[in-house]
Amino acid sequence: MPRFVCFLRSLRCARRLLGLLGCALLLASAGPATATEEPRILVLFGYQRALPATIKVEQGLDETIAAGTDVSIEFLDSARFSGEAYVRAVTRFLRDKYAQRPPQVIVAGGEDALTFLLSHREALFPHAPIVHFGIRRSMLASLAPLPADVVGIPIEFDAVRTIDLALRLSPRAKRLVLVTGAAPWDRAWEARLRKEVTRFAGRVTPEFLAGLPTDELLERLRALDRDSIVFTSGYFRDGNGDDFIPVAAGAAMARAASVPVFAPSDTTMGTGIVGGYSPSYVVMGREVGRSVNALLDGVAPQALALPAVLPTTLNLDWNQIRRWRLDRDEIPEDAVIHFREPSFLEAHRDEAILFAVVMLLQSGLIVWLLVERRRRRVAEQAEQKQRFALVHASRVSVAGELTGSIAHEINQPLGAILSNTDAAELILGAGAGTDTEAESWPDPARHRELRAILADIRRDDLRASEVIRRLRALLGKQRTESTPLDLVEVAGEVVALLRVEARRRRMTLSLDSAVQHAIILGDRIQIQQVMIILVINAMDAIDAMDAGAADRRLVVMTLEARARGYRITVTDHGTGIAPEHLEQVFESFFSTKPDGMGLGLSIARTLVNTHHGRIWAENAAAGGARFQVELPALGGARGESRFNKEGASA
Amino acid sequence: MSDVALIHVVDDDESQRVALLRLLGAAGFETRGYGCTGEFLLQPLPDRPACLLLDMHLPGPSGLELQAALQLRGCTLPVVFLTGYGDVASSVQAMKAGAVDFLSKPIERDALLDAIGRALARDRALRAAGREAADLRSRFAALTPREREVFDGVVAGKLNKQIAEAMGIAERTVKLQRAQMMRKLGAGSAAELGALAERLKGLCARYSPEA
Repeated sequence: MPRFVCFLRSLRCARRLLGLLGCALLLASAGPATATEEPRILVLFGYQRALPATIKVEQGLDETIAAGTDVSIEFLDSARFSGEAYVRAVTRFLRDKYAQRPPQVIVAGGEDALTFLLSHREALFPHAPIVHFGIRRSMLASLAPLPADVVGIPIEFDAVRTIDLALRLSPRAKRLVLVTGAAPWDRAWEARLRKEVTRFAGRVTPEFLAGLPTDELLERLRALDRDSIVFTSGYFRDGNGDDFIPVAAGAAMARAASVPVFAPSDTTMGTGIVGGYSPSYVVMGREVGRSVNALLDGVAPQALALPAVLPTTLNLDWNQIRRWRLDRDEIPEDAVIHFREPSFLEAHRDEAILFAVVMLLQSGLIVWLLVERRRRRVAEQAEQKQRFALVHASRVSVAGELTGSIAHEINQPLGAILSNTDAAELILGAGAGTDTEAESWPDPARHRELRAILADIRRDDLRASEVIRRLRALLGKQRTESTPLDLVEVAGEVVALLRVEARRRRMTLSLDSAVQHAIILGDRIQIQQVMIILVINAMDAIDAMDAGAADRRLVVMTLEARARGYRITVTDHGTGIAPEHLEQVFESFFSTKPDGMGLGLSIARTLVNTHHGRIWAENAAAGGARFQVELPALGGARGESRFNKEGASA
Repeated sequence: MSDVALIHVVDDDESQRVALLRLLGAAGFETRGYGCTGEFLLQPLPDRPACLLLDMHLPGPSGLELQAALQLRGCTLPVVFLTGYGDVASSVQAMKAGAVDFLSKPIERDALLDAIGRALARDRALRAAGREAADLRSRFAALTPREREVFDGVVAGKLNKQIAEAMGIAERTVKLQRAQMMRKLGAGSAAELGALAERLKGLCARYSPEA
């Protein structure tokens, strides 16, 4: 991240450097021009300095006027000062002042300035061409035809478009209130509006508040119904004869009105007016600047290709749009929206992108971690399930082996008891003709009693052996689930499962398979059990040795193909099996371990037998024991097929 | 030679074995008990009616292995198996190898005595057949080489004259030797001699290495 910021910073530095370089070049090129002939212009505004429109025009001029041009600005301020004496004084002042430095081009701002210049042209600047601006087309038309070297772009306040827009933005409006003033200009504007507003007759009811005293006007505006909208361009003079700057008048109206106020002027932004279509004063200034540049370059005034009228732009105040809940969908694409707070994303684009990237990466990481966690959980569950299955199978095997062994051990004495009872009954002469024989005994009653006792012993014995028989039948039903399985795979699982145990005991457990696959038919869990029993047994054997050398702490499980199937060999490097124990190791309850139950290998043998395999133990030549299991291969399950053949022939 | 049948009991479980001996003794049999197969094999078998009650699972060689060993030696002693828990495979193997029965412990008296009875009956039959064969063999062994030649001729259905010609002796000598041969073999007629020859042929086939 810091690297990224550094990159941005260096980019900004580079941009600044380029800017400086550009300035230097400009200065260098401007130098000689100043030395020869400095172009001079005079801008004469008809109104005063503080008018917002004046400021905007100046801004546009500043942007476009060629560097090195000497610009002088004067104001007639004709709205406040008038009369012959004043005009005479101004004329003399201008003539005297600019006699030293006569301007080559004159700019006239507004109709008052233009008419003043035209009437005193001979006295002031008879040869300088005039560029005018800010004069309505209708006004120009009413003047005498202009000389050829007086040019300019007329403006037009576009009331129709602004009203049309206002109606679209507030579709529920029923009444259109138009406010005009009492000055001559205001009256002329009112007359024009009255004509133009007729085209909205079907959509809205127009109502004029023309030439009212400001107080009364504001009161009327406060009381307007909610279904009204107001259109005004301000006024120069109210019904009381007081003079106003139109923008200020409009602002007062916007403050007072209970409904949205629209105005066709771009200087109204921020005063509470919603907005409207208007000539842009900045654009006006730029157009004038360009014309002046061309004239100074020697282009003939007639050759200037000026537009017939200055195009209007739509300015809207976003705060007002929101305040009056106007229909945002109706705002045209080309509207200039003022005061719209740039959204967070617009204001902090780089940071937002960085943040989004970081969030995205972080989310990705979280998702990945969650997925990983889930996968691990599933794997853990699977492993746990397998362990549980193994533990369960092991318990079942232990129970089966234990019960089988107990049943066998108990069955023997039961058989002996039964045979003894039978023998005693025979000796007592049980059977046919017992009564007569009983009579021959010294005490017939005792004889009968003995026979009853024997009968009871016999009955209980048979009952006990029935219990054993049923138990054995139940255990015999323990079905094994025979499916084709790969011994290589099963052995791999077992080794993976017991690696932890081997590590705990500081032993090495390795699997060495001479075959790629070893497919047999059997119960996966039971085969795993056999392998686990043998491996654990081997580990125990190594542990039984005191401090065995590291190279002897090794259990190897090998897998190889044999003629009859596959052979699994588990070799340890323990002390081996005492020769006298080789026969006994697979018997139940036989164990050389102090805490051994003596069932593990016995279970292994039972399970291997169930799979028609065989298991045996031997001592390896290199020392240590070697347990071997052979299981018939799938398809060559010889144990089973041999059994079936014999069963058929028997 | 006692008429009382002798029952051999091989069982490693002492109390079971003792109980069986008691029961069989009470049932009127003479009995002998052994703890393992080796012990049994070490004892000479008296020539008298007998059978073997054999446990399946024994230390050392198993009951099945003993059965196989006895058969290999030509011992016809009938075997009744008695086992703690019999599985189908070993019972099939035992019966196929000629066991009289395959019983499970604990065994009830009637079932046991029934099986013993059948075993003894088979023993009787086998022994009778064996005795007769031995008798026949000894009688046949008493014949001189010439008498045997005459016997072969008679059995082949030849007349005395033909036999005399084949042997290159006088017909009168053939008649004399034929009479002696008939007396030694205990045959009253040519028909009896024929039957005898048939049985001999069977014996020869069975005991060809010894004959």
